[in-house]
Amino acid sequence: MLAIDSERLTKRYKGSSIAALNDVSIKVESARIFTLLGRNGAGKTTFVRMAATQLMPTFGSISVLGYDAVRQAKQVRQLISVVPQEGRPLRALTPWDHVYNWLQIRGEDKKIAKEKTEDILQKLELMQFRDRPAMNLSGGMKQKILVAMALAVDAKLLFLDEPTIGLDPVSRRQVWAAIKDWKAKGGSILLTTHYMDEAEILSDQIAIIDKGSVVAEGTIHDLRKIIPQNTRIDVAKDGLDIDMLKSYGSVVDTGAGTLRVFTFESSIRELSELALKRNLPFTVSPVTLDDVFVYLVGNLESGGQRA
Amino acid sequence: MMLPVRQAFLIAYSTGILWLRRNPSSLFFSAISPFSLLFVLFVISNGQYSQFAIAGSLVMALVGYGLALGQDISFYKTEYKIQDVFVASPVSPLTYMMGLALSELLFGLPALTVLAALVVYFGASVFNIPLIIATILLLWSSMSAMGFFLSSHMLHMRNATQVISFVNVILAVLPPVFYPIANLPDSLRYLSYAVPTTHASLMLQHSMGLPTPAEWSLGFGYAVQIAYLVGFVVLAKTKAIWRET
Ligand SMILES: Nc1ncnc2c1ncn2[C@@H]1O[C@H](COP(=O)(O)OP(=O)(O)OP(=O)(O)O)[C@@H](O)[C@H]1O
Ligand SMILES: [Mg+2]
Repeated sequence: MLAIDSERLTKRYKGSSIAALNDVSIKVESARIFTLLGRNGAGKTTFVRMAATQLMPTFGSISVLGYDAVRQAKQVRQLISVVPQEGRPLRALTPWDHVYNWLQIRGEDKKIAKEKTEDILQKLELMQFRDRPAMNLSGGMKQKILVAMALAVDAKLLFLDEPTIGLDPVSRRQVWAAIKDWKAKGGSILLTTHYMDEAEILSDQIAIIDKGSVVAEGTIHDLRKIIPQNTRIDVAKDGLDIDMLKSYGSVVDTGAGTLRVFTFESSIRELSELALKRNLPFTVSPVTLDDVFVYLVGNLESGGQRA
Repeated sequence: MMLPVRQAFLIAYSTGILWLRRNPSSLFFSAISPFSLLFVLFVISNGQYSQFAIAGSLVMALVGYGLALGQDISFYKTEYKIQDVFVASPVSPLTYMMGLALSELLFGLPALTVLAALVVYFGASVFNIPLIIATILLLWSSMSAMGFFLSSHMLHMRNATQVISFVNVILAVLPPVFYPIANLPDSLRYLSYAVPTTHASLMLQHSMGLPTPAEWSLGFGYAVQIAYLVGFVVLAKTKAIWRET
């Protein structure tokens, strides 16, 4: 069974003439992590909220775990758990209060709720702050409370709308590990993020949305192939002839004093020698998701990046 | 315990009891405010007017809790996104509303207890205590449902506070809540029967042994209040924004 199956899903917010989401058909396999990428305002949250029964579609259909998310919202709501974008914990409540009470509200008995709360607080390193009111916690810890609430719940499908925003690199890895645990137990996940490394590490399947439409979809492997060249070489800018570099492929100014050449494996040797000869530092790597993202949805002309 | 009831109590526990435990002073402030008008009326009338002032203050406090619930709900929705978490869960909108309304009641409990005690002190017999409690519960639930319904419409309003004070005037100031209904000319008196708070106040006045109009009866009062309760619950259930459109 599919975790999410949307057909021509469209959302036009009240009073808006253009659709925030337009004709989006997405299939999310169960026990997989599906990631939505896209620029600010692309429509990711709009999609997530329609699937999570928080927002009505204008047109099209969406089913979640086999139930129609509009007509059978009640059934869907038994089976899902969410981290809303930019949610905030209640100021006076502690991490323990949030997770423990939420689990009970979702129907767990006290004993199980206690075990699960301990478990998730431990995993996310919130245990030492378990009794501190949220207003006295840092921004990242507050975010982790929301993630803990969602992950502690026994559900089949998890919606994570930018779950690791504001988290330090160690905390992010803890959240990733918890997400992977969830998947290992057979759970499905719909994730949105602006962190390409996060998407690369977690996703089984990715859709890139731009201005309300899906512009690319596939595994990381599939998406990497969108850029014609498979290799990128970053080389210090000093005194390099851009036109000469362009003969190897496309060239982008990273803005950090280096030029990025998208090229083929066959050019690695030549370009490396060129850099070595001039004593310029350089790195060679495969094309990343970040590159694909910028290639697909980055407006390079106005961004002034293309060298 | 049935799950929705348990859920409502857990919501009330989280937003009410836990909050109060960490901010006990807020109980003091919420307990004091319903007595301000009572105090003024008591002083001005040299105590002559106490019974109307008590009935009025009790009704106005309950209207206030309903409106405060509306504000809380809009706040939880827009500022905390907590409502989004509840929507995408097995908690129904009415359970959510009940939970927050219970928490509101908890904050109001000290004031309500004192006001109800004053009703008894100022003439109600102890046999009227069930009537007093029924009046409080009926108005509390219908005002809560009204607050929940209004909350959806206060969400994006910059003038939410004006709407709140307007509703407060319509329900607690203009109708005969603080003053004898007999003071109104006939036409306005009949009009005021259309307002649920008129009946709540009349029930309290009745229980304190004050005269009520010949055309009014307890049954009439209950009927109108129950009709409003049902109406507001239906509005809350169908028209309050739960899943956004
Ligand atoms: N409640 C709303 N009313 C009207 N328009 C809205 C509403 N919510 C979102 N939009 C519009 O819909 C479009 C998509 O917004 P959405 O929040 O889905 O973007 P997003 O991809 O999640 O962006 P971000 O990465 O910034 O979170 C935007 O143009 C936004 O302005
Ligand atoms: Mg978003």
